Amino acid sequence: MIYIALLVVGMLGAGIAACLLRDLLAAVVAAAAVSLILSGFFYLLQAPDVAMAEAAIGAGLTTAIFVIAIRKTGRHEE
Amino acid sequence: MRAFIGFVALSLIAVGLALALYHIPFGQDRMDVARDYLARSVRDTGAPNVVTGIVVNYRALDTLGEVTVLFSASLGVGMLMTWRSPGGGRPLPGASLIVRRGAGFLFPFILLFGGYIFVHGHLTPGGGFQGGAVIASAFLLLYLGIPGYLLARRPLAAIESLTGITFVAIGIIGLAVGGYFLNNFLPKGSVFSLFSAGVIPILYMVIGLKVGAELAGVVANMIGGGEE
Amino acid sequence: MIWLVFFSFIAAGIALSLARAGLGPTTPDRVVGVDGTVTITIALMVLLASFFDRQIYLDVALVYAVLGFIGVLAVARYLERGV
Repeated sequence: MIYIALLVVGMLGAGIAACLLRDLLAAVVAAAAVSLILSGFFYLLQAPDVAMAEAAIGAGLTTAIFVIAIRKTGRHEE
Repeated sequence: MRAFIGFVALSLIAVGLALALYHIPFGQDRMDVARDYLARSVRDTGAPNVVTGIVVNYRALDTLGEVTVLFSASLGVGMLMTWRSPGGGRPLPGASLIVRRGAGFLFPFILLFGGYIFVHGHLTPGGGFQGGAVIASAFLLLYLGIPGYLLARRPLAAIESLTGITFVAIGIIGLAVGGYFLNNFLPKGSVFSLFSAGVIPILYMVIGLKVGAELAGVVANMIGGGEE
Repeated sequence: MIWLVFFSFIAAGIALSLARAGLGPTTPDRVVGVDGTVTITIALMVLLASFFDRQIYLDVALVYAVLGFIGVLAVARYLERGV
């Protein structure tokens, strides 16, 4: 139970950080952390299909596409 | 001030959701449909992985819709961005030796792993979407590891179109043989063997190749196009 | 009992690397923190597959083991202006 609470706190913290951080590269890293912990949760709830989808999309593709978009626009908000 | 109003509104929504969800018991199955699927799925579809049985057999039409949605997303990115070599003429700094060699070395293995995921979709967790995402990640690795790499456009478009046509053709053959669209017209074979479950492995191969081509096209468009 | 020891070590590792990812003053620190979390999560998934006694769950851990480094590689290539 303590471990699940730890994971929930980590995921909430990473999600809030992804919203609030002004450095967009750090926000993308925080979003990757949210995806990682979410995949771990799907795995804990014994839904390996969904966990694998979240892993395959979240581990490489979304992070890289966000990073490419930051390269095309700009790194800092405002 | 706006942030404060937004915070209050979100808090109200959260309290309402919590009050509404509080009355629903968690962890008890109250869904007759789910129980029915769990009881009948293996006998009906021949796939031991019940999720695959539902996604590609009972709900195969929805899967066709999902693939179409992904196709239109890929099309939208393709209309905004152009397919050019990375950097747009700007010379890119070379990657280090480890990254270059590692990308070239890992690429076939990642492709093989993606193929394993969607070929075994009816036996183990995973399936077409997951395998396609893994294959697209392999092409992304090439883009990241080898500066100036450019994916060939025509084979990708050909794979995408052919797999889409194959999906619909299998559905129409099922309509002609069994009376409804995407009917499982092939023999189901013995459960837990690779060649079993009728059209499910074929459909998952088609979906895997199509999703892989679409996501690789999104990556190639994103990395090549746009203004600096 | 032995599982409690295993999961305690894993939880300590995840907490410490997530703390580095949260505190890290520069972005490379955060990236390395998240990458460490990915590695420890792979170990957690393998342990949980053994705990649930489901060997086929290992595929999910394999996906992370094969693809986990690509996000880090993307950020690293961005930092050396290579994307």
